[in-house]
Amino acid sequence: MAAHPRPASAEARQALRDAMARLANGDQSALEEIYRATRVKLFGITLRILGDQKEAEDALQDVYINLWQRADRYDPERASPIAWLAAFARNRAIDRLRTGKVRGGAVPVEEAAPLPDEAPLADMLMVDAEQAAQIHKCLGALDDRTQGHIRAAFFEGHTYAQLAEAADVPLGTMKSWIRRGLQRLRTCLEASEAA
Amino acid sequence: MSGSDNTPDSGVQRDDPMIAAEWALGLLEGEELLAARGKYATDPDFAWRKQWWDDWFAPLTDAIPGAEPGAHVWDGIAARMAALSSQQAPAQGTVIALEARVRRWQWVAGLTSAAAAIALTLLVFAPGNAPVEAPGDTPAQIAAAAPMVATVPIGDTGLRLDVTYIPESERMLVAAIGLTADGVHDHELWLVPAGGGELKSLGVVAPGQVRSMTLPADIASGLNDGARLLLTQEPLGGKPAGVDAGPVVAEGDFTRV
Repeated sequence: MAAHPRPASAEARQALRDAMARLANGDQSALEEIYRATRVKLFGITLRILGDQKEAEDALQDVYINLWQRADRYDPERASPIAWLAAFARNRAIDRLRTGKVRGGAVPVEEAAPLPDEAPLADMLMVDAEQAAQIHKCLGALDDRTQGHIRAAFFEGHTYAQLAEAADVPLGTMKSWIRRGLQRLRTCLEASEAA
Repeated sequence: MSGSDNTPDSGVQRDDPMIAAEWALGLLEGEELLAARGKYATDPDFAWRKQWWDDWFAPLTDAIPGAEPGAHVWDGIAARMAALSSQQAPAQGTVIALEARVRRWQWVAGLTSAAAAIALTLLVFAPGNAPVEAPGDTPAQIAAAAPMVATVPIGDTGLRLDVTYIPESERMLVAAIGLTADGVHDHELWLVPAGGGELKSLGVVAPGQVRSMTLPADIASGLNDGARLLLTQEPLGGKPAGVDAGPVVAEGDFTRV
């Protein structure tokens, strides 16, 4: 037992970081460790975006095979491993959604409202708490409507066209709303970085 | 607030950081997505900004409930890894010989490293592939079986399709990395045999992927120096039977490396 045991989540997070580094150095066994630690979170993401069990599982396989083949792209200086993996999985799922193999996922457009708070995942799978607080604060500073549309884009993988249709507004209006929201978001996030 | 929100184009500048944000959010489609991916590969500032947005958005995923994938998912991953790597050790000499050639194609054809890596793997492990001797022993054999490459640039996007044919394995690799589907069209690849003759379909291109296919003998026989590739725009699923092919959007010639 170490004299100053760290919290389990910090240890798990460090283990994940180490596994990513080992994978980047060609240690294949590290992938299974990463898979065990992150599959629940990443599958939650691909399932949410794709809305179809089979598609989401295929996407998940691609995520890990891709990770194995290109683990060197992960920069430990830049992002926490779980943040990076989460973005990676979501991007792959969105790519799959856009290839036309899945059309729209299973979540109807009408239900693409802002998400209720849901049971959080195990602590170690949470992205850095400070960073999380800041993005929520900056998103929360937007008006409810803009925030809702940005969240629907993020969580449901909706396009401008789908968002405009759901809100029954012209495409140009939706683009304008979201772009202004993104601009404010950027200003807010950059201000927090400068602080 | 609602008054001004109803006015479209209210002076928000759609600069690169904005496009990076739209992309990170997943809003880009079709041509715009294509352009963004091209820019990501060539513009470090843009790539940095995309990553910046990805990093900031990542904590939002904490609100997504986790889910347990089926046990077969890991089996599939393990099987694919094993297939790609189990024979690496005994084939070491061959790998080195082939690596040198892969480097040569990269130089000649500008193959993406991903495509090259996969090509290398396929060369080594393709079933029924006669073992390749060490370099120097059989230069004639290597020359005769030299891979053929074609680069098919897509308009002025800076993106392209890389097509590699590997005679030893009768396999063709189509790398459409960076390409994306617009959800309305598919792109179909056609071979124009060197001596002329009927177009042969090589199938619909899978955007963003490196695909490997085995070529039937009748198509492989038309694949020589100077054979030409055409890329046409078709309805989803490819050219319907009994209808003329769609417009040619890109073309390129095969050369032997």
